[in-house]
Amino acid sequence: MTTQATTFTPHLGADPGDWIALLKPRVISLVVFTGAIGLIIAPGHINPMMAAIAIFAIALGAGAAGAINMWYDADIDALMRRTSDRPIPAGRIEAGGVLGYGIVLAIISVLLMGMAGNLCAAGVLAFSIFYYAVIYTMWLKRRTPQNIVIGGGAGAFPAVIGWAAVTGHISLLPMLLFAIVFFWTPPHFWSLSLYAAKDYEKAGIPMLPVVKGAKHTRLNVLVYALLLLPISISPWVLGLTGRIYGITALVMSLAFAALCWGVYADRQDAAGVSLNNDKPARTAFKFSLLYLFVLFAACAVDRLV
Amino acid sequence: MMAKDDFDRMPRTELRESNWTPEERAEFIRRRRGRNWLLLAALGVFSMMIYGIAVVKLHEYGQMW
Repeated sequence: MTTQATTFTPHLGADPGDWIALLKPRVISLVVFTGAIGLIIAPGHINPMMAAIAIFAIALGAGAAGAINMWYDADIDALMRRTSDRPIPAGRIEAGGVLGYGIVLAIISVLLMGMAGNLCAAGVLAFSIFYYAVIYTMWLKRRTPQNIVIGGGAGAFPAVIGWAAVTGHISLLPMLLFAIVFFWTPPHFWSLSLYAAKDYEKAGIPMLPVVKGAKHTRLNVLVYALLLLPISISPWVLGLTGRIYGITALVMSLAFAALCWGVYADRQDAAGVSLNNDKPARTAFKFSLLYLFVLFAACAVDRLV
Repeated sequence: MMAKDDFDRMPRTELRESNWTPEERAEFIRRRRGRNWLLLAALGVFSMMIYGIAVVKLHEYGQMW
């Protein structure tokens, strides 16, 4: 759809796919997954239709935050090859309309969550949208090389929201799931940024490899992966989950830490730039996606078995 | 080329003020129709969800049956 849209001039208006692209569908898929796991592992009962609507509300909220992010970041998106074809920088949708679209969707998502779930879940959803759109996108993304660490919080909310939608409160297990996603995000994104930093540099975003260099980033990838290890097994150690989750988390976290060690010890020049085409960083990035999926799936299996 | 029906539905000002080729005009109509369908689908889904929530809530509180 996008290919078709770029063939014609902007005055023809946006393709429907452009309005969907504003919601960042790929991010939504992860959010839906973690949100659904939060719902599954929570003690108590929720009507299946309400559960489906609650997950939809989480997805819609994430999409709304993504649209507001695209509205605010349109200037830097235009500078980066990866994002220059997004609907606003490509001129297919007017920026002001996207802001309204994001705000309306955010309001609808919170209202739906309030009706299908409860006030607690709706409140956390509203805060997560605010966190991503304002605290991360508008405030910190362009100011600090720790932007990814802080941004990780936004991706960590869905499991908490899912849990809250069933129980009406937040307890230790969802907070630990929050912490797992929070500490998983830096090694995940910094592995990627090691071989995709040029785009960020062009846009002036202070990503860690741009500001502190590749060597420093490699060390941080390893440190966060090591921090993730005890946090990932803590639900098992504290007796909140069973052995299926515990052993899975231990094996996956050790494997992830080993791959991050590979990123740290990669053959590199004095500045830390890989002489190996960043092969370890690419492997660690791909594994990080599998890591989170397997860990959360194991958590659900553990609860259901 | 667009169908006559499409042509009739287009606002006259757009036709007068533009120098679009037939292909561009057809593409403009295709996109507008796509957006309208998307909006209709979104409104439909939203309405169904509100209806679903209402039914479940009423059932839970025993006021429907």
